[in-house]
Amino acid sequence: MTSRVMAEFDLLLPYSVSEAVTLLASHGDKAAVLAGGTDLLVALKFDYAVENIISLAQVPGLDKLTYDPEGGLTIGARVTLVDILKSADVKEHYPALWQAAKVFATPQLRNTATVLGNILRASPAGDCSLALYALGGTLTLESASGRREVDLDDFWLSYGVTARKNDELAIALQVPAPQAGQKSAFRRMTRVTEDLSKLNAAVCLQMDGDKCLSARVAMGCVGPTLVRLPKVEKILRQAGITPDLLQEISDTVASEIAPIDDIRSSADYRLKVAGVLVKRVIMLALNGGNDQ
Amino acid sequence: MEDLKVVGKRVERVDVRAKVTGGALYAADVQLAGMLYGKIVRCYDHAHARVTSLDLSEAAKCKGVIKVLGPKDVTQKEYNASVLDMMVSADMRGVLGDIDDQSIFTDHVKHYGDAIAAVIATSEEAAERAAEKIRVTYEELPVYMTAEAAKHPDALQFRPEKPGNLAFQLPEMAFPDNAYAWGDVEDSFAGADIIVEDSFYVPKQKQCQMEPGTYIALYDDQKRLNCWTSTQMPKLVQKKLANLFELPMTRVRINITVIGGGFGARLGMVLEPETCALAMAVPGRPVKLLSTREEDWVTSPSRHPGKYWMKMGFKKDGTPVACDARFENYKGAYYVDASGTAFTTGAWLGGMYKFDSLRYRGESYYTNQSICGAFRGYGNPQTNFVMEQMVDRGCAELGVDPIEWRRKWHKTIGDDGWCIGVPYNSCALDECLDRASAAIGWTEKRAKYKNQTGTVRRGIGVAVMNHTSGAMPMLLEHTVCDVLMHQDATVTINLACSDMGQGSHTTLRQVAAETLGFPYEDVHMSVGDTDAAGFDIGAHASRTLYVGGGAVKQACEDVRRQLFDRAALELEEDVGNLYMEDKIIHVKGSSNKSISVQTIADQGVNNFMNPETGELIGQPGQIQGYASFFPPHNAPPFGATIAEVEVDMETGEVRVIELVNAHDVGRAIHPGVVEGQLDGGAQQGLGMVLTEETYYDDKGICLNNNFTDYKMFGPSDMPKMTNILVENPDPTGPFGAKGVGEAGIVPPVGATANAIFNAIGIQILEAPITPEKILKALAEKEKGLS
Repeated sequence: MTSRVMAEFDLLLPYSVSEAVTLLASHGDKAAVLAGGTDLLVALKFDYAVENIISLAQVPGLDKLTYDPEGGLTIGARVTLVDILKSADVKEHYPALWQAAKVFATPQLRNTATVLGNILRASPAGDCSLALYALGGTLTLESASGRREVDLDDFWLSYGVTARKNDELAIALQVPAPQAGQKSAFRRMTRVTEDLSKLNAAVCLQMDGDKCLSARVAMGCVGPTLVRLPKVEKILRQAGITPDLLQEISDTVASEIAPIDDIRSSADYRLKVAGVLVKRVIMLALNGGNDQ
Repeated sequence: MEDLKVVGKRVERVDVRAKVTGGALYAADVQLAGMLYGKIVRCYDHAHARVTSLDLSEAAKCKGVIKVLGPKDVTQKEYNASVLDMMVSADMRGVLGDIDDQSIFTDHVKHYGDAIAAVIATSEEAAERAAEKIRVTYEELPVYMTAEAAKHPDALQFRPEKPGNLAFQLPEMAFPDNAYAWGDVEDSFAGADIIVEDSFYVPKQKQCQMEPGTYIALYDDQKRLNCWTSTQMPKLVQKKLANLFELPMTRVRINITVIGGGFGARLGMVLEPETCALAMAVPGRPVKLLSTREEDWVTSPSRHPGKYWMKMGFKKDGTPVACDARFENYKGAYYVDASGTAFTTGAWLGGMYKFDSLRYRGESYYTNQSICGAFRGYGNPQTNFVMEQMVDRGCAELGVDPIEWRRKWHKTIGDDGWCIGVPYNSCALDECLDRASAAIGWTEKRAKYKNQTGTVRRGIGVAVMNHTSGAMPMLLEHTVCDVLMHQDATVTINLACSDMGQGSHTTLRQVAAETLGFPYEDVHMSVGDTDAAGFDIGAHASRTLYVGGGAVKQACEDVRRQLFDRAALELEEDVGNLYMEDKIIHVKGSSNKSISVQTIADQGVNNFMNPETGELIGQPGQIQGYASFFPPHNAPPFGATIAEVEVDMETGEVRVIELVNAHDVGRAIHPGVVEGQLDGGAQQGLGMVLTEETYYDDKGICLNNNFTDYKMFGPSDMPKMTNILVENPDPTGPFGAKGVGEAGIVPPVGATANAIFNAIGIQILEAPITPEKILKALAEKEKGLS
């Protein structure tokens, strides 16, 4: 039950990454990190209590979104959804991410919610996190004892649980530079326009003419974490993308997912339409973002 | 058409500046000296249980706590939060079976969120912290979430005086055979060539008004109970509270705060009894109670959900011969509005088409759902979902065009209205249908969408409705208005009608200005203080403009008459020879003989003696107009909506492409206000038919009493929409106006369902029509064919 009163906490305001990780070293198991706050504040008004909140508001450098044709895209911890939408580079080179940001939550939330926050939330219904899963990426985690990199493929362990340790601060996400012929797209289904996804899918394909050289296909709302669809990826790599192949893909999807009944939809419905959604997101990627 | 100067104009709304700048004072914004805060402890673990122990001791020790109250610490009087008992005669009250079955706090939990106890503390935070320390243990009882479960012979009885948990059925005394009926349906069905019949489900839709319930109460040093509330019904709530706390009306004062939306959620009492009970426990200190959204959701009423069965019979030539229907609603835990909606749901059905015979039965069963009550349309959207789909099924079997059939068979002037024995006195539904049909291109699209085969299929559907302006003769329709003329010739209108955001204070002010012949700027609306205002039954039943406007008009005519009487004396002319222009009363045909309203008003107040003559200057006495108004009719609004949709055959998703709403509004006093009502109504109608439902688990725990999981249509979901205002003045409405507050929500419900039927060839019998249901129905159809 939501409360109008939040549990008491100490607000800690580090002025550098090193101060932030020092605070995490001493309070890590009793601290939450605040960037956009769109998940944290909801939790605090519900039943979540934590002794310390470490705000990144004063930490410089974390709000950088940079693109380099060689090195790819770097998304800092405080980069918001609106930053993503304003980036012509993201729109051009990572359409899946741009499309996910476009429909993410509501205008007010997009102003403050961060991309990394969406990844750290480890929701099986995340939109931006799903697009990035398909695009691939590496998360930089820093603690008092140093830095480490974690591949997104290894980051989500179970519902709401990630590979981040309590004393680690997520600094940035590195998304590889697009390969030649790379096409990506994101697509979701909701009850109304402004809503959490009830089913979402994202793909990143490396195309050579009609032939798909490599594929990453990811789905949300079909298990405790976001999932990749290895069988579908394999089928994509086999042959040119034809209507028959798309049908085969559509028929295969259900065997790779394990959705449940919840308030947003039913397991039965998700199993029935997941293949349709994957087929359509592939078409969307191939059409360069134009829905046909 | 007469020459109107203020009526029909898009004047600036009286509330708009305060609302868009954040200056409007909602109850939550009101701060009083020495304010205390209440927090109610509710049962969120069970939907049906007995309290086996209640320990308040730890809470009482908490910092900042002033008092902790259990069920025995407040009035033991039971009450009924609804106000229907005050709008019908004492005899009818008995017939309608109204009972007082609610208490401030309970030891018998009947729904998720029932109130157990409360804390009063010096801050909201302290109250909430202390409330967490209240320990309650429960004995779980079986839950009954549907009428079917509640009427089972082994089910526990909610109230001994309501056997079988049947809270209400149409009473035999007023409705023979417990039915709202004419003719003999069995006989008529025997002569039918085509019979269609099915059982539907209509959802538990929530009003989702923006402002969650917030209340302040103060039992002051004059032993007066003051309550600040955004109620839709100040005068009836004043009387209800007077009854509950056994006080004379002079010792109960309601202060209306700015209302952040009503839609029926603020009909009657909501948390006024609890807040006042807390205030009575701490005399001299104001107590504020702020609901969370989740709390508001389960303590204020919803639309009545339930099973709705209907059967219709037609002759081959389309003649509607019989309609038989039964609405079994899942009433909820308490009696509130058990009778009203159960009746009106059938009244709207009876008011629509010229069936030879009709029989409607309405039954309300106690269940462990949160209470149902008034919600925009009051049974009409439910009937529209069912009736209009059945008509379209009939039309499909008859092979006739749904608009042509409706045009031919809808009731009109002279036919019995929604109330048998009260004929319709105006009806412009044909024009509504014609203009809507032309605006959307009905004929072409209907032809074009036959025999589609693609993945995405389009459909177009129509629905019509009848409604009411006030509920005469079912309810006591009465509003008192007085008009005070100041010495500078401006006026203050004093009445109790609430403006819940629909714009009624603006339109009432227009009616006043037009009637007086004064500029809009010279009129001020004084509203919201029950100490000052006379009787009124509140803002509901699309009545405020029709009945409140009637009262304003009559009171302003009284002022005008007094002005003319005095002018006649001063000018030594017959009243019949006078006319007013720009607030100056002239003598016809005599250009230099006149007196200004300003002079009359000033002399009435400042009635000085002429020192030379010793005579009084002008006519003495401040002018006041008065009306205690009972409307002669219920000026029926009619309306038609045509909806165009697109259905994705692979996912079952529905996209509404366009809506055209054409409404017989009598006269649009303020076209922008009317359009606002139709827009908002359509938005809620689309939500009801496509997305909105309250879900419970098998233990009766509500799963979506919040905006994360209860999905309404938002602005980004709305289709292209056109509102056509058909102005055909009603003979009884102020300047011909009819009520439009509820009409807008009704026909989009049936029209959208029918558009889906047109697109996919299947009728979905349960609202909301979700993609999940559509896909399932498509799969079943395919299975049936293979």
